Amino acid sequence: MEIFLGYFLYAMSLLTVGGIYALLALGLNVQWGFAGLFNAGVAGFAAIGAYTYALLTTAKSQFHFGGLELPLIVGDITAMIFAGIVATIIGIICIRLRADYLAIATIGIAEIIKLILKNETDITNGPRGINKIPRTWEHFTEERFYSNFPMNFISNPKGWEVFFDSIPKWWWQPFFACTILIVVIIIYFLLEKLRVSPWGRMMTAIRENEKAAAAAGKNVTKRRIEAFILGAVIMGLAGAFLGQHLRLIEPTQTFDPSKMTFLVWVMLIAGGSGNNKGAILGAFLIWFVWSSSELVTNGVIEILATMFDSVDISILKNRAGFIRMLFIGLLLQFILQRFPKGILPEKRPAISGKSQKYAG
Amino acid sequence: MMKKILISGMVIAGLSSVAYSDVKIGNPMARTGPIPELVKPMSAAVDLAVEHVNDQGGLFSDGQKYVAVKVDSACDPVAAVDAVTKLVNVEVVTGIVGPVCSGATIAQAESVSIPAGVVTLSVSASSPAISEMENGTDLVFRTAASDAYQGIALAELAMSKGIKDIAVSYANDDYNAAIAAVFSKAFTSMGGKITGNEAHEPNKASYRSEVNTLGSGSDNLALFAYYGSSGITIMRNALETGAFENFIGADGMLAQEVIDQLGAENLGNVTFTTSASDSSTDAFKSWKKHADAAGVPASDPFVPNSYDAAFLMALAIEKAGSADRSKIAAALREVANGPGEKILPGEWKKAKEILASGGSIDYVGAAGPQDFDKNGDVAGLFSKNTVVDGKWKPVVIK
Repeated sequence: MEIFLGYFLYAMSLLTVGGIYALLALGLNVQWGFAGLFNAGVAGFAAIGAYTYALLTTAKSQFHFGGLELPLIVGDITAMIFAGIVATIIGIICIRLRADYLAIATIGIAEIIKLILKNETDITNGPRGINKIPRTWEHFTEERFYSNFPMNFISNPKGWEVFFDSIPKWWWQPFFACTILIVVIIIYFLLEKLRVSPWGRMMTAIRENEKAAAAAGKNVTKRRIEAFILGAVIMGLAGAFLGQHLRLIEPTQTFDPSKMTFLVWVMLIAGGSGNNKGAILGAFLIWFVWSSSELVTNGVIEILATMFDSVDISILKNRAGFIRMLFIGLLLQFILQRFPKGILPEKRPAISGKSQKYAG
Repeated sequence: MMKKILISGMVIAGLSSVAYSDVKIGNPMARTGPIPELVKPMSAAVDLAVEHVNDQGGLFSDGQKYVAVKVDSACDPVAAVDAVTKLVNVEVVTGIVGPVCSGATIAQAESVSIPAGVVTLSVSASSPAISEMENGTDLVFRTAASDAYQGIALAELAMSKGIKDIAVSYANDDYNAAIAAVFSKAFTSMGGKITGNEAHEPNKASYRSEVNTLGSGSDNLALFAYYGSSGITIMRNALETGAFENFIGADGMLAQEVIDQLGAENLGNVTFTTSASDSSTDAFKSWKKHADAAGVPASDPFVPNSYDAAFLMALAIEKAGSADRSKIAAALREVANGPGEKILPGEWKKAKEILASGGSIDYVGAAGPQDFDKNGDVAGLFSKNTVVDGKWKPVVIK
């Protein structure tokens, strides 16, 4: 029975991280899929969200600024606001750049954000990072939450302790995963509404033919800044959830572009850019493969070892990590060759109202 | 669609489960990422400990097999949390011998292993933050000394060399920043003067401006960096400009590469410390004999620590009498701290017999006595290394 619980909890963890990546991919889809903005600085916006959340909600610490102990939801919302503010400033300055130049600028900006987080050691504890970040639901079991308002209103600390001892230690895991999934679903529906709205159709027009859109009297620059900010806000929220999931964030490895920026790009392209369902599918699919492939490679090596017992497998075991990367790379090649427009290609929004369902 | 993926994922996961009567421990290490070459011999040392246990009777009275499930933590919190989630839930490991980098260790412990009640025994995480991480639990241990100790050892070394003022340059990463902070504090409190203390970003082509700024204050440089990413370049710039005469530093700089690239004749006034094992002890001699036989480099950084961790975990499981996760922490303290019959590396059979007859044991490890304090930390031994005949020559600081 224990093993089934294990698989269940692993599935929860897959859904949690998959959901976080889905949020990042949805944010990128607004920028790239809707508006055609090449943002190569996803990690930077995620980092802003994560650090904002961490500094606002952690307990007081000698290592970093504050630890303001604010409610978690305030942390989540402020993370979105902060990512939005930074995106506004960047957008006003850089958005007029053409696609490839914008890509270069955003890579640079993500690096600048990382270096600031790394070097402002009084605020962020520099490369050593911030730990003990409270995680939604699990945080109820921490003393500073259950001995304060509003939880002390329901029961005294002693009562809470007894209660938490009486339920399984993993109780918060499904709740945390579901919270993230619900957020993904809400944002998905909002973005779908947006996609078929006049604003969404205007974005497509701008992406496909900027000059024609401008000639039709659309304020191209303003619309693009709007899309850039909206995408960054969603990425900021994803960053806040990432901080909660990891419970420790540090600027160098956590927000490494290969795992935060380019992996999200792969997810979006494989799933289908321009299609919100595709973004979500791509994120979950790639993350499931990324994570579970480790179990597969270990299993395959075991099987090889039993089949050919004359072969020394220790060298394979040490190389398993690299074999896995190769395997994932091959799979991506396959997906991109087989589905050049992504697994779920973009569907153009219908004209409006009733005729919507006839559109291809 | 989603459901199908989930189910097929689970079926695949089932492939990896080994026979039911084995006792599994998790072994997440940074097999990919920035330091795979450093990790390879450490991983081999874990294998050697597992081999010793299995060759000398296995675990418990029915000789169950001791298995280390290897996964990749990539020195990265995201990868480490994911890897350890799989170990704890899918592989159902009894304990974790593991993550190499401090950030990955803290993240996996806080996110996964502490909430699940699984013991983490890190082999090389040296951040001082790990000492004060836990909140009422006793689940995180390590067989490598905290940087807090090495920073102090290095400050004492500087003092003993008659250095009164020194400039500090450190690579801006979690490891080097931490040790530089401890060193600066210790050196100042011993009456020394820090003339400049600056972080540098790794992987730059030149550090001349940094070297010049720091060099104007002092002739001595304390350098905390990894040799490959910035250390050698800074040393070269410093030697070219003649900004510094004496160099001290910590284990990130200790590599043959440094001598090969800069030339032994230029490195007369260079001393680097590293966590070391006292090679005169019986425990180390026993370890060296086994390591040499297996082709594992006995004195490489954190290699003896890795062996100790895997061996200690096996002793703790044997002592606990079952693969029950909740009993491991207490058992680990008993077998590591004693009092009891001394057990040296490789002496699994002896330990097993004593434990079976109800006796108590005290493991004395390859890297040191391995006695855990209340934070789960061990005291460390360090060596000072100077260049002799084109090679680093270690002398243990006692």
